[in-house]
Amino acid sequence: MNTNGNAYTVIYSTIIVVLVAAILAYASMALKPKQDANAKAETISQMLTAAQFYSKEECSSMGNDKVLEAYSKNIKSAFAINAQGQKIRDLSTDVNKIELIDNLKAQDNNIRGKKDVELPVYIFTKDGKDVTVVPCYGAGLWGPIWGYLAFSQDDKTFVGAYFDHASETPGLGAKIKDDPSFRAEFVGKAADYNASPIFSIVKGGAPKDQQNAIDAITGATMTSKGLSAAIDTWLAAYKPYLSNNGSAPAMTSAQPADTTAAPADTADIK
Amino acid sequence: MNANLKETILNPIFKGNPITVLVLGICSSLAVTVEMKGALVMALSVTIVTGLSSFVLSLLRNTIPNRVRIIVQLVVVALMVILVDQVLKAYAYGIDKQLSVYIGLIITNCIVMGRIEAFALGNKPIPSLLDGLANGVGYGLILIVVSFFRELFGSGTLFGLRIIPESFYAAGYMNNGLVILPPMALILIGCIIWIQRGIQKDLQEK
Repeated sequence: MNTNGNAYTVIYSTIIVVLVAAILAYASMALKPKQDANAKAETISQMLTAAQFYSKEECSSMGNDKVLEAYSKNIKSAFAINAQGQKIRDLSTDVNKIELIDNLKAQDNNIRGKKDVELPVYIFTKDGKDVTVVPCYGAGLWGPIWGYLAFSQDDKTFVGAYFDHASETPGLGAKIKDDPSFRAEFVGKAADYNASPIFSIVKGGAPKDQQNAIDAITGATMTSKGLSAAIDTWLAAYKPYLSNNGSAPAMTSAQPADTTAAPADTADIK
Repeated sequence: MNANLKETILNPIFKGNPITVLVLGICSSLAVTVEMKGALVMALSVTIVTGLSSFVLSLLRNTIPNRVRIIVQLVVVALMVILVDQVLKAYAYGIDKQLSVYIGLIITNCIVMGRIEAFALGNKPIPSLLDGLANGVGYGLILIVVSFFRELFGSGTLFGLRIIPESFYAAGYMNNGLVILPPMALILIGCIIWIQRGIQKDLQEK
């Protein structure tokens, strides 16, 4: 058989490509539910880690089902808001059909393009207090970075944060995820919604008395900058909602404590 | 024949190791050797991909049109890599995330294409399968050795378990930050090549 003829080459290539495509399509379809469940549990465990319910290692050893249960058990309400800070719709928190808004990239484009957004707000109950968890998303050095910021509902101080990245440098930029001491810097700090930037990560060290800034990671200037911009951009998008202390019009009545303004805000109003 | 098979299996593991003798697949071995767990999964993935692609292409070897040979090889290798990536995403999500882009980059790993061109296209399926697997193991072996040193001295852990006790850190011991960075992996691989050339005199250039 002449394997060098044009017709043979074209037909052979076509068959190989179609065959490979079919195998891949089948594999993708067969594994999709499992992969989606993993991705969902991963997102949830990032939130639980940010809100300091568990450490990330605990979450990964719990398994997907336990993570979903923990979420369902600790969450008080989850809903989506628009750019004006108004609640658009509730997100289901039932353990069997947990609803998340995890298309952060699309939302990030909308925020930057000043288009309609649908931003998630997750309110957990922890030790009798409300902890709000919101996401952020932006560009690191090599690829996207994203994460979750958790702050107490009362005074808006951060109780924790968790970040992840697609391809930051291991040992440098990847420290936003791997270095617990970097994440611990957030604890006790708070964003200042009247300042610009709202929150920043400062190269060379943040001033000790500055409440809305933390130290950057040594050797990871671009990742730190990117994360700083991501947090700033996203908190700015949440500003209408957060600076009203979560008094979004269609809110549940279970938030009486929120009418008191955050200390930083009152100071600035004066 | 039996001696030949044995040679096929043993040669890539030491005497003809793809990393230290052929100096292929260096890029990924620098990237994924920060932690042993990642290195092990990467080693397994590359072993499976080289083995299966060599096997499949050896089966097809007499039908492949010569002019699109490389493209057909790439298509088959890409198929294997994507399958491995999909399976990892479904069953080892954490590790897949950790290895991220490097799983996909197995497609461009010179070892895979190199073994197909050099061996699979001229040999029967079973020896090709063994050759592919053995080369993956040879690659993996170096990965494990390098990651052992990098994780131990860079993070003080092995497979994520703490080896260097906290009391050392309290006494002023510090992890070596340089070991975490890719250049140190290159230096380590250089040292391994050096040692191997010391043992195997026939590799030394005059």
